[in-house]
Amino acid sequence: MMITLKVKVGQLSLAALFLVSGLSAPAAGLLALEDEDKEEQPEWLAVTGGDVFTGTGSYLRGATVLAKDGKIDSIGYDLFIPEEAERLDAGGMRVYPGLVAISSSGLLGGSGDLADTIDPFSSRMVLGLAAGITTTSQSNQVAKLKRGELEGAVLSEKAFSGLTWSGAGGKRALKEKFETTATYLRAYREWEELVKKDKELKEPSKRGVDSTVLAVLEGRILAKFSANGRDDLLGIARLAQKYGFRPVIEGCGEGWAVADELGRAGAMAIVTPRYRRSKEESLVRDGGSSIENAAILHLAGVSVAVIPSSKSVNLGGIAGRDIMHLIIEAGFAVRGGLPEKSAIDAITIQPARMLGVGHRVGSLEVGKDCDLIVTDGDLLHYETFVQYAVVDGKLVYDKQEELWFSHIRPRPEAPAPEESPVDAGERPEDIEDDGEAGDDDESGDEDEEDGDEGDEDEEGDD
Amino acid sequence: MCASPAWAAGADLCDPGELGGPGIALRATKVLTAAGDDGVTEAIIDHGLVLVRDGRIEAVGAADELPIPAGYEVKDLGERWLMPGLVELHSHVAGTGYNDAVYQTNPGLRASATVIPDRLYLQRATAGGVTTLLFIPGSATNMGGQGVLLKPGLDTFDEMLVRAPGSVKIAQGDNPKRWGYGMQRSLMAWNLRQELRAGLAYARRWADHERGAADQPERVVRYDVFRDLLSGHTQVSTHTQYYKLVLTTIEMLRVEFGLDVYIDHGSFDSYKTAKLAADNRVAAILGPREIMWPSPTRYRTDGRVEGSAWGFQRGGQEEIGFNTDAPVVPQEELSVQSAMGVRYGLDNSAAAAVRGLTIVPARTAGIDDSVGSLESGKDADILVLTGDPSDPRTAIEMVYVEGRLVYNAEEGGRLW
Repeated sequence: MMITLKVKVGQLSLAALFLVSGLSAPAAGLLALEDEDKEEQPEWLAVTGGDVFTGTGSYLRGATVLAKDGKIDSIGYDLFIPEEAERLDAGGMRVYPGLVAISSSGLLGGSGDLADTIDPFSSRMVLGLAAGITTTSQSNQVAKLKRGELEGAVLSEKAFSGLTWSGAGGKRALKEKFETTATYLRAYREWEELVKKDKELKEPSKRGVDSTVLAVLEGRILAKFSANGRDDLLGIARLAQKYGFRPVIEGCGEGWAVADELGRAGAMAIVTPRYRRSKEESLVRDGGSSIENAAILHLAGVSVAVIPSSKSVNLGGIAGRDIMHLIIEAGFAVRGGLPEKSAIDAITIQPARMLGVGHRVGSLEVGKDCDLIVTDGDLLHYETFVQYAVVDGKLVYDKQEELWFSHIRPRPEAPAPEESPVDAGERPEDIEDDGEAGDDDESGDEDEEDGDEGDEDEEGDD
Repeated sequence: MCASPAWAAGADLCDPGELGGPGIALRATKVLTAAGDDGVTEAIIDHGLVLVRDGRIEAVGAADELPIPAGYEVKDLGERWLMPGLVELHSHVAGTGYNDAVYQTNPGLRASATVIPDRLYLQRATAGGVTTLLFIPGSATNMGGQGVLLKPGLDTFDEMLVRAPGSVKIAQGDNPKRWGYGMQRSLMAWNLRQELRAGLAYARRWADHERGAADQPERVVRYDVFRDLLSGHTQVSTHTQYYKLVLTTIEMLRVEFGLDVYIDHGSFDSYKTAKLAADNRVAAILGPREIMWPSPTRYRTDGRVEGSAWGFQRGGQEEIGFNTDAPVVPQEELSVQSAMGVRYGLDNSAAAAVRGLTIVPARTAGIDDSVGSLESGKDADILVLTGDPSDPRTAIEMVYVEGRLVYNAEEGGRLW
């Protein structure tokens, strides 16, 4: 085991290396020393030489992303890179924000309350990173794919408030909840002012007020609906406009047919571009699914996030339709006319914003978390593989160091760095690299998937 | 079909390109011909030109070399690409009621009897670039019946029909086990052999009779399709998937019975048969479960995710094609199957993806004399698209079938 001891002398950073084998009492002392020192010594990561797609409109060729303690410190050219910084050579490759899967299952290994159940050694987590996903939502919570680490993994314990818009009775009941709650909220705000003068004034009654709806109307949380039919989408749009909130609508299959109304309502859509829905031929109007859905919604001002039809890792199933192929699904939005930039947004910053974590992840900006992926080509190209994934400034996935995909178009060896004579600051990165690599954590949990005969396909009669 | 009737001779009733109409010249920035085996037509032509007349391809070449005959309508497609229409060899979307399961083997049943022309499934297939498809019975039994080769973009059954029987559908997957209680693979294999022996013996009796060596046998309608098989007029398309099953397909159907058979619906680790398949000239048509990953109960990959198509290619198999099993995967996603092949390792430097979508399945089904590539004399089944056909981002703008413009995204709306 190697332990790094860094001592700061004036402006000079020196790193001294101690080789400690078989931890003994003095070694434990060294560890403690390092811990104390850590508070002063930031951890740097420099991703150098890649073509950086920031997600904010810039595309910087051959630029460097520098992270300090997991946050992006600077992006650009000729940056001062501290010599103790770990370096990741992205020369000839592309750098994108880590992808955000707006809903998935199984990537985090856990279920229910993620804070207690995330498995940071799950093979699914590695596969998620291989698919470029660094943040996802599962069981309505938001978490990062922080491999080997639990601390700071959960970003949000509640992503949305789910509301149901269905059935005549259900719709009427929801409308009543909104009406009662909105009336209460107006009365409460009025009371808030009046009570300053008249301390005796009674607070308005909360009777009939729905706490979920109240949170939505106060803007504390986003309401999420699941709807595909055009009439349901219109109903949600009207509700949202009347009561002044921005609905997130999952599905939104016929959204293209009522895109203007959704745009005016400030709706946000979670779409699967390959979704199929037949048109109701009895109705004389636009309907059914359309490959142009994402593009038309986008043009109408609706924020669009993209998710594949299968939300778990399903490599034993039909190729190209599961969460491992988020980029393929986004490609289909482009086929329907969505601009490439917006298609990338639809798997990065848009879902991040919808999940309420847009200030942390989803784009490469100074001050945000350093969650990024390095790819061997255009992100949306079907041949492109994620070569490296970085979460919170730490390298957590290296394609060549994992068994899964290392044999497919192996990354050419980077030219060996020049031997620097007394530059001890270069050394620790090798140690860290070795620590990340070769994690042999894929042994246990394969058998559950892809049962013996379970993957036979169905050939229904129709 | 547009053929000017005699009383209208000289009138322009037919559109350019189709039968009876004037010729048409399609000019595009790139032409993927899927040809090149004979050395006459280049596989990829930059700034190419395709001449179409009477529903057929008249000539293909470089725009600055090939002269455009007088009277041809010239369509400059700018940055667009051209390629042959896609050929699908495992589809169930052309009709309903094709999966009879009363008997374990049903060589006499015909999928052609269940075709419903112009249904939405077929319109979407056309929008996805599929201009020829093999519509086959399901895999509820060991021998589902006869498939039919169709052109989904045309209007009536007569127009659509490319060849019947398009194939004899045999299923060696696990689906036929659902036929009844206790049905297992041994019984299925035994049962299939019985039927093949009886059917082929019947066909041989007819062949003997036809060359005057035997009396006319009694007609058994149920076995008539074996005469088509024996004469090479059709092939066996086999629903088979993983290594164990594909091995049976090759060993039983090809080696033992000498049938013209291809792997259909090849999946997972089927590529372990690559050399055997190549040696026995059994084409590998793959999809939609084209990748396999470490799942120790059935597959061993030393922890790697393996692409089936790449596996076949590494093993020396050159005839690699793709299929969807639509509607399991929608018909219009055929091109995605090639993208998955390439993503998971298939070397595409010699256009393996395009060939696997066109000429390979056409040759496999024995219809490469009329479809599968852009070559002089073939049907003018042509796609106009925005780029690489395997890329999900690529949109298909227009589809010609036999010179007729059957899909135009700009005019009728984008269906896919």
